[in-house]
Amino acid sequence: MTTASRTPMRRRRPSLLSPRRRRLVVSILLAALCAAWIYPMLWMVSASLKTNAAIFADPGLIPSEPTIENYFRAWTEARIGAYFFNTLFVTIGSVIIVTVAAAMMGYVLGRRQFPGRGLIFGLLVFTLFVPQGYTIIPVLGLLSAVGLGQSLWGVMLATCGGSFVIFVMLFAGYFNQMPDELEEAARMDGVGMVKTFWFVMLPLSQPIIVTVIVMQTLYAWNDFLLPLVVTLANPAIRTLSVGVYAFKGENFVDWGGMTAASTISILPVVILFLFLQRYFIAGLAGAVKG
Amino acid sequence: MAGLSLKGIRKNFGSAEVIKGVDIDIAPGEFCVFVGPSGCGKSTLLRMIAGLEEISAGELSIGGRVVNDVDPSERGAAMVFQTYALYPHMTVARNMGFGLRMNGVPRDVVDKRVREAARILQIEDLLKRKPKALSGGQRQRVAIGRAIVRDPEVFLFDEPLSNLDAELRVATRLEIAKLHRQLDGATMIYVTHDQVEAMTLADKIVVLRAGRIEQVGTPMDLYHRPANLFVAGFIGSPKMNFITVETRSQGDETVATLPDGRTLRLSGAQANQVKTLGLRADQLERAQGDAPLTGVVAVVERLGDADFAWVRTEWGQEIAVRFPGGTTPDPDEPLALRLSGRTHFFDADGIALPEVSIAPAKD
Repeated sequence: MTTASRTPMRRRRPSLLSPRRRRLVVSILLAALCAAWIYPMLWMVSASLKTNAAIFADPGLIPSEPTIENYFRAWTEARIGAYFFNTLFVTIGSVIIVTVAAAMMGYVLGRRQFPGRGLIFGLLVFTLFVPQGYTIIPVLGLLSAVGLGQSLWGVMLATCGGSFVIFVMLFAGYFNQMPDELEEAARMDGVGMVKTFWFVMLPLSQPIIVTVIVMQTLYAWNDFLLPLVVTLANPAIRTLSVGVYAFKGENFVDWGGMTAASTISILPVVILFLFLQRYFIAGLAGAVKG
Repeated sequence: MAGLSLKGIRKNFGSAEVIKGVDIDIAPGEFCVFVGPSGCGKSTLLRMIAGLEEISAGELSIGGRVVNDVDPSERGAAMVFQTYALYPHMTVARNMGFGLRMNGVPRDVVDKRVREAARILQIEDLLKRKPKALSGGQRQRVAIGRAIVRDPEVFLFDEPLSNLDAELRVATRLEIAKLHRQLDGATMIYVTHDQVEAMTLADKIVVLRAGRIEQVGTPMDLYHRPANLFVAGFIGSPKMNFITVETRSQGDETVATLPDGRTLRLSGAQANQVKTLGLRADQLERAQGDAPLTGVVAVVERLGDADFAWVRTEWGQEIAVRFPGGTTPDPDEPLALRLSGRTHFFDADGIALPEVSIAPAKD
């Protein structure tokens, strides 16, 4: 910030704090807020490194006798390892399907005029108001009807539906504000609709693609209710979030195992976000700016 | 190289008719400019030729082939868009070769044609850059290069200079004129609202207003023999001065009375129909003694080689007069003006009366 060049303007306004002090105070306040925000996660990581007995006996965040025994137990005995790969399968599959399908649908809705377009938009928006809980049983019914009621493929397909409409809207909004000339230039060049979409429009929607990948990954990785219902009868195809819940027994909660499993489950998401946050924020900001 | 023929072309958007029956013949190799104020339908007409807009009625042929229902890419026309429409994520070379590549032309042929077009436009060192890293003028060249690569029968330009600054606009205008010669006189259709671009580039100008053709002709035709008040006012800068006159017959001649009561004697068959007198700024001269026009200089615009003085006449109208540099009167100076060179006369409907002229002075 070029505070020096702005001082002549600022000097006229009496202020208790210089701009530098004000920034310092704001930073401290925000840091405190961040600490409060992140504390549960830190507690979780800390607890995963303590024995079950030490978790409540030793209230500090830094374990006095750190152990990774919880992680071994979670990975092998509680089958978190298997659930991890189940979740990976569901997440990657649903991200691919959702990104491709939402981009294609968004392109058509955002750029093509056809009868019933408004109606389709209306119906799509309407589905946003239906709570997930109401749709789980019909979705399960559909999956059973096509023979996927008890399979990981079924979980993957069902997970695609979570925020699909929002992604379609994001793509439609983005494609809609692209200049017509790009498509017209391609048309003059004799490039068909599919190639224009694939080689011209899709690469230009990169910020939205990244946003959709991140949001769908988060959703698929963390979704609980739907995989719980679908995998109820078949524990082998559980995902991580459902698996973690299994640590809570009727009479005993294995806090050490549960926090270790939780740490394993959030790690990939945190890493992904760290790598993609720049694009992610750019994509959302771009969509809002229009 | 191919000629074009437009016969009774019409375009409706819903119930609104925006092109109201247009007939134009463009010869092979001709540089044709569509000019007119915004909203006159010139861009729509160009897009109809390109195939980006459907033709509601009439017949469009390119090179003798009717192309009303032919796909844009099959018409043999390439278009340069006002906004350039370069693909932002592709390099200049890929931008130029994209259409060919997508249509299965072998890579080495595409590369050769891209390099050849780049050589013509002197953008060889830009081929690896993305559009973001180019200036406005360079982007314009790439857009033209993309058209050249396709080796079209007809080039279509949609206000290609309007996004450039004034200096670059003049430079690029010259480039386009050179390019027309360099490409062995390829047929070019150029849309602009700028009459200077039209005058300097065109072999043939089509003046459009509200979806209709007002006049078709060479630049000098339009300048010296405008068909009506609209063309007379649109072509030439500053705008032609129009003075309303009253005519009456006096014996065997017609006398036109200016708003301040002075009179001009007219000759010609339709002299009694004259309602408007048209005078360009360079067709007025400083006069000594008795003169048909007098006034006071209101404003002077000095351009160096020539100056324009805006003279307020006795009835309050300001008329532009061109003076060679250095001979310009000062503001508030009273001035007498006489008519020199061509005068234009228009009837009550604004139609030109080319046979009317100022009667020679009687002895």
